[in-house]
Amino acid sequence: MADREPPTHLSFHILLALAADDLHGYGILKEIEAKSGGRISPSTGAMYLALQRMEAAGLVEPSPDRPRPGEDARRKYYRLTPGGRALASAEAHRLAELISLARERDLLPGHGA
Amino acid sequence: MIRLVLGVLLRLGPRRFRENYGDEVVGVAEERIRAAAERGAGSAVKAIVKEVVGLGLASIRAHRTLANGSAPPGGLGILAGNLGRDLRHAARSVRRQPGHAVTTIVVLALGIGATTAIFSAANSYFFRPLPFTDPDRLVSLWETNPEFGWTDAEAAPANLLDWRERVSAFEDVAGYRTIGLRTTWIHEGEPILLEASQVTGNFFDVLGVRLAAGRAFTWEETWGDAPPVVIVSHGFWTTHLGGREEAIGSTLELDGTAYRVVGVTPRDFAFPMGGIDYWVPYGWARSSRIETWFRRAHFVRPIARLAPGTTLAGADAEFQSVVTALQTEYPETNRVMGAGMGSMRSFLIGDARTPMLLLQGAVGLLLLLACVNVTNLTLLRAASRSREVSVRRALGAGHGRIAGGLITESLVVATAGGVLGLFLGIAGVRGIEGLAPLGIPGATEVALDLRVLALTATLTISCGIVFGLVPSLWARRLGLADALRSGGRSGSETQGGWIRTLVGAELAVAVVLVLAAGLMIRTSLELRSVHPGFDPSDVVAYQVTLPSSRYEVRDDVLATWDDLLERLEATPGVTSAGTVALLPLSGTSWSSQFQAEGWPPDRAGLDILHRRADAGYFEALDIPLVRGRLFGPADSPNGPLVVVINETFARDYFPHSDPIGQRIAYDRVATEDSFWYEIVGIVGDQQQVSPGAPARPEVFEYRNQDWGRTAWVVVETGADVGATSITMRAVLDEIDPLIPIEATTTLRDVRSASIAREEMVLLLLSVFAAIALLLAAVGIYGVTAEMTARRRREMGIRLALGADGGRLIRLVLREGAVPIAAGLAIGAVVALIASRALEGLLFGVSPQDPATLIGVCAALGVLALAAAWIPAWRSTRVDPVASLRADT
Repeated sequence: MADREPPTHLSFHILLALAADDLHGYGILKEIEAKSGGRISPSTGAMYLALQRMEAAGLVEPSPDRPRPGEDARRKYYRLTPGGRALASAEAHRLAELISLARERDLLPGHGA
Repeated sequence: MIRLVLGVLLRLGPRRFRENYGDEVVGVAEERIRAAAERGAGSAVKAIVKEVVGLGLASIRAHRTLANGSAPPGGLGILAGNLGRDLRHAARSVRRQPGHAVTTIVVLALGIGATTAIFSAANSYFFRPLPFTDPDRLVSLWETNPEFGWTDAEAAPANLLDWRERVSAFEDVAGYRTIGLRTTWIHEGEPILLEASQVTGNFFDVLGVRLAAGRAFTWEETWGDAPPVVIVSHGFWTTHLGGREEAIGSTLELDGTAYRVVGVTPRDFAFPMGGIDYWVPYGWARSSRIETWFRRAHFVRPIARLAPGTTLAGADAEFQSVVTALQTEYPETNRVMGAGMGSMRSFLIGDARTPMLLLQGAVGLLLLLACVNVTNLTLLRAASRSREVSVRRALGAGHGRIAGGLITESLVVATAGGVLGLFLGIAGVRGIEGLAPLGIPGATEVALDLRVLALTATLTISCGIVFGLVPSLWARRLGLADALRSGGRSGSETQGGWIRTLVGAELAVAVVLVLAAGLMIRTSLELRSVHPGFDPSDVVAYQVTLPSSRYEVRDDVLATWDDLLERLEATPGVTSAGTVALLPLSGTSWSSQFQAEGWPPDRAGLDILHRRADAGYFEALDIPLVRGRLFGPADSPNGPLVVVINETFARDYFPHSDPIGQRIAYDRVATEDSFWYEIVGIVGDQQQVSPGAPARPEVFEYRNQDWGRTAWVVVETGADVGATSITMRAVLDEIDPLIPIEATTTLRDVRSASIAREEMVLLLLSVFAAIALLLAAVGIYGVTAEMTARRRREMGIRLALGADGGRLIRLVLREGAVPIAAGLAIGAVVALIASRALEGLLFGVSPQDPATLIGVCAALGVLALAAAWIPAWRSTRVDPVASLRADT
């Protein structure tokens, strides 16, 4: 794995989508849209550009097997590499730290306030 | 189409991105656009914009990702690297000469917008499948009768039933009524007027419509011995029945009969017309099947579904053999009764075909004009830019860089034009949707067609891009030194030739469009000047139905009509009031054959129209009584039957004898048992269908003898419509508040509506002609401006040497006059041929009308010269010294 820079916003969403399940491109887009309630809806081009960068960085890779029988076999599926999973996890921890800091400063209501 | 655009955008990116992800990106983007399209045209447009822009940006940014990597950017990728710089350059260039950019944008927008709107409409009429299951297997059937001049008549129910049983090529045959049936529904004490369509029990099954709730009718429910059932429209269900499932099975009391609601149609279902509240089976008596009237009365519109595996021709052959057999089996009614069939779609399009094709042709010309114009504008710009290009090349810019810059500039302008055109197209589609006269009622709706939009946008925009490259090509062809020395002028001889040819072409196209609009204007004027046979001024008409549940017997109905008219005539301001079954210029109700008393058995009148009226109708509309008398109190409901005929009837059938006092019966061979009517009067002709069609022979029966519960009450009054309507409602309330007014109109509106289609074609053609004029003027202005600008130095010298401004203007105009004259001449010849397409729509003017043609050519000639004169005049207003200094 080349770099440990925090992933971009879109990349993190792709990592999150793939953390649950191996998906094809359209599936990733639908997952991002669904999980963000439609607020985040990247164009297909932008998503594939991010995917290209992440593939080059070794965060995701094409998945050889079809997760669900009967799904379109022509489509390319993607899955997280161990590195990708580690980066997603690291980023999640980073965000969690930020959130607990925000709670301490009374910026977020709830648990810590 | 969108695939093509995305493919082009992918080419902007590096090859590796394209090879690894290209297919997937295109596939997924298409899938998302399709999904968005299901949510409506707005979402689709948004999705397309998002995907196109997104992919464009991604392709460009992909270069950066790979920049430190392996593959060098290839193809047009070079553009992307310099995109920012090119965009800035383009913006500067547009700012320097905003006129060019604005003109191009407007031309593109008009061309794309108009074309998209019209072709979208045409597409939904001609190509979009009807909203039924397997619509290609649906055919319309009709009856023909050469003796009556019937070409596509409705069928007699007995014939329809025989076709259904005997033609095996028809999987099933259903029938429907094309005129809405009006009923009154008393809902919470208020009379609500409902419109129903009568159908055979298999109607929904033949169409293959899946109901939103409940079930379709069964075939057995066609007959009167089945329990009464209705299927309600989705709108009625939600508005009046709360949209609840429990409404299925509930009963509706309509005109005194309790109907059980068995189903709800899908939301968009609107066949045979919009505004139907419920569908109800005909409820024929089974015994009618063997009665003669069941084979004589033609009032059912049949549709058939072809059996699987049958062809249209094969089905028609079998159909014709059955029709022939029926002719011999039932000679009394079917002796000369033929029948025909054709695809349901073309049957429904019917009369709208001609104007629609015509408008498509016109808008095609407009698109051509827009393309020519964009080309022309770009070439003009190119001419003035070849010097700039030469300078940049001399300073070391490569051809690729220069081409990239020019294309970027064209793209910026073209995109702006395309976006504006999209909005114009959407507005245009909305506008056309609002124009009823071209619609197929209920069968299809107009929606923005994205393929059409993409096609027209690609066409016009590629004109801009392709010709945007011309300056760099010229610069390449021309020696660098030559180009610099000449200041961009030397290439101008060939360019000038091209541009002048294009100007001529623009003018020629404009002549064709303007002539078409001119002919339609003449038609409209002629139609408006035709006297319809009645005086439409100051007459308001109300369609009133006396509910049969409350007015059961004849004498109640007649007494109510008399009461209503008496009260109306007693109202101050009302001159006269009467009733008529159908207003003039609104179509025909029924027609029949007839025989006059004493005619030999082989003589008969074949196709006379019938209308129910009273004396008040003729008085309110100022229809002249030519001879005899109108209906009067002496004509009692049970007394001898009397009729009034129109002048055409008298002329056609009694040319040598006096029709007054003659007796007629509506049978081909009349007997003593026939109903005999005595002709008591002759009134002036009123046009029945349109001002363009001559009046047909017509008989008026008297309202008190041939009675009915629905009528148009016509009121001649000095008051306006609003005040009259208040009076009318008040008078009805005195008699019975539960009598609904179904429709209100003025006779003036009826008259305008009768020429609505011509007016609509006129409106659209006029818009096109105006755009064409504008484009042609822009083209000519632009060319002359460029020509004079190029000769500014020469003009400056001439002016400095004392030349007179007027002579200089004439010099410029003389040069401009050649392409103008040639364009007009060619345009006139083409227009004379093309205007034949208008033939069916014209009235009172020939397609080759010389006056219109000369007028159009003269007007265009003047416009063209004016467009050339302005820049010529401006060139003489400049300070000679400044113009000499400018170009050194």
